[in-house]
Amino acid sequence: MENTTIQSNNRSETVKKVTHIATYTIIYILLIGGSLMMFFPYLWMVMTSLKTNPEAANTLQLTLFPKVFQWKNYVEVWQKVDILIGLKNTVLIEISVIPVGTFVTAMAAFSFAKLKLIGKNFFLLLLMSGMMVPYAALLLPQYRVFSSLNMIDTLWPLILPGFFGNISMMFFFVQYMRGIPSSLFEAAKIDGAGYFAQYVRIMLPLLGPALAAQIVFWFVGIWNDYFAPSVYLSVNEEMTLQVILGKLNSSIGTGNNLPLVMAGAVLSSLPLYIIYICFQRFFIESMAITGIKG
Amino acid sequence: MKRSKLDRKEHIAAFLFILIPLIGFALFTVGSMFFSFMYSFTKLNPIKHYDPFFSIIGDIWVGFDKYKDLFTHELHSERFFRAIGNTLVLLLSVPLGMLAGLLVAALLNNRKIVGSKIMRMLFYLPAVSSAVAMNLLWRFVFNHEYGLINMLLHNTGLKWLDDYALIKTAIIFKNVWGGLGGTMIMYLAGMLNISRDYYEAADIDGANGLQKFFRITFPMLTPITFYLLIVGVIGGLQSYVDSDVFAQGNVGAQTIVYFIWKRGIGEWNYGLASAASVLLSVVIMAVTIVQFRFSNRWVFEE
Repeated sequence: MENTTIQSNNRSETVKKVTHIATYTIIYILLIGGSLMMFFPYLWMVMTSLKTNPEAANTLQLTLFPKVFQWKNYVEVWQKVDILIGLKNTVLIEISVIPVGTFVTAMAAFSFAKLKLIGKNFFLLLLMSGMMVPYAALLLPQYRVFSSLNMIDTLWPLILPGFFGNISMMFFFVQYMRGIPSSLFEAAKIDGAGYFAQYVRIMLPLLGPALAAQIVFWFVGIWNDYFAPSVYLSVNEEMTLQVILGKLNSSIGTGNNLPLVMAGAVLSSLPLYIIYICFQRFFIESMAITGIKG
Repeated sequence: MKRSKLDRKEHIAAFLFILIPLIGFALFTVGSMFFSFMYSFTKLNPIKHYDPFFSIIGDIWVGFDKYKDLFTHELHSERFFRAIGNTLVLLLSVPLGMLAGLLVAALLNNRKIVGSKIMRMLFYLPAVSSAVAMNLLWRFVFNHEYGLINMLLHNTGLKWLDDYALIKTAIIFKNVWGGLGGTMIMYLAGMLNISRDYYEAADIDGANGLQKFFRITFPMLTPITFYLLIVGVIGGLQSYVDSDVFAQGNVGAQTIVYFIWKRGIGEWNYGLASAASVLLSVVIMAVTIVQFRFSNRWVFEE
């Protein structure tokens, strides 16, 4: 009697073990398969950028690696396409918008999170309602205004709106700042610090990683923005990196040369990937601290 | 006395701090919205007409004609309905991407998985990649002569980029691939917030992994699912890069925003483009209001 129980216990233990191993095998197969599917297009992009054109457009045989690595493709795309000009314009937008925009955004968030203001919730809802208006509905009037200000084919239409802040970033900061104890600001008030000083000296330093994460997000957003830049910029000297990249397929000297197009795509994404690898922690973690509860 | 003076000072400072975003909102959102709305009742052509609202508004006013055009004009209505149809079909990538993201998150939400960090990075990589670069890449992958897909399918010769239906399939596939990383991150963040207690209680009751997922994890994640769906739909209704870069303007993939851009900036038919953009705004606002009504968790609370 006792013997059979032990036996059946043993059996259920082995069954458990087998299902455990089977489960993990399935999980790993799915995950590794998925990861390969994610990674393969990138690998193919890089490998194609290093092939000769006939090699890349080979219709008979699928080959991943080039026979000879054509590093000169990168030199060629660098010479034929104004990547440097695109880079300069993109960076120009980034460094004008982000410091001013972030400062303005965090200041407004500080007010919403910590200061007394009549009609505060109304103002907050008002600003947030702007997030649901599609950009396409704002484009035509803004295009007209910028055109009457002679700002078409300049970077101003892409820079000016950023100076007034970023509402989704503000929403994030309001959430985050509410978690910071108000007593810190009460104490500063007693010491005679004004509201602006409280914001700059106490709140801003406390934002730390949240600030960094949001800046990185905005940076990536501006870097990859395509719709507005493609509408406003049609002169080569003023194009951002993405607009130049968008034109690569059809034009600017690459003809239908696939390896060159891919080399351009790799080159223009490279800075972002470096940032992604360096700030990886921020990308993943800042999502986790948005205050979203399951 | 002193206290109320201090309070007033605080109110003033607080208002000044939010003034810049408020001005931006008034200029760029309210102002633009108002003009879009007015344009939609005119036959404004920015090349021909200057200063439409102070002198010649009477000459170009056409009432609801442009809205009528959208639905009845032979050419415009055909294009408009096609744009709506395309946009709606392409929205399929939202639930599919969410499903894929949820699956990956569920698999990765396990400390014992070796290499989970690197896999997470890989799945999220498209989200930080340039949409233009990714579209160029996928155009190449779907190329009917030498693209990866047709090579793998042994030269079926399917013209993914030219066919009315195939191009949508291609875009949906590409967007699921590109979008699942973002949903995965959100789901992972949500899963971290679910208390261990529920799972321990389920363990005592002898529940298996699948039961725990469907009875605990998934129900606890419904607010995130709802949020992702709404944000995905709002974003999907505004898609543009797919039409412009991936499809290079192919009719099978022209979306509503592409229609607005083409009629407005391309053909200077501001009235028609504005009418379409007003309708799009109404739909998006309705979707957002649904979100606010049905999901209290996402409403901003004091």
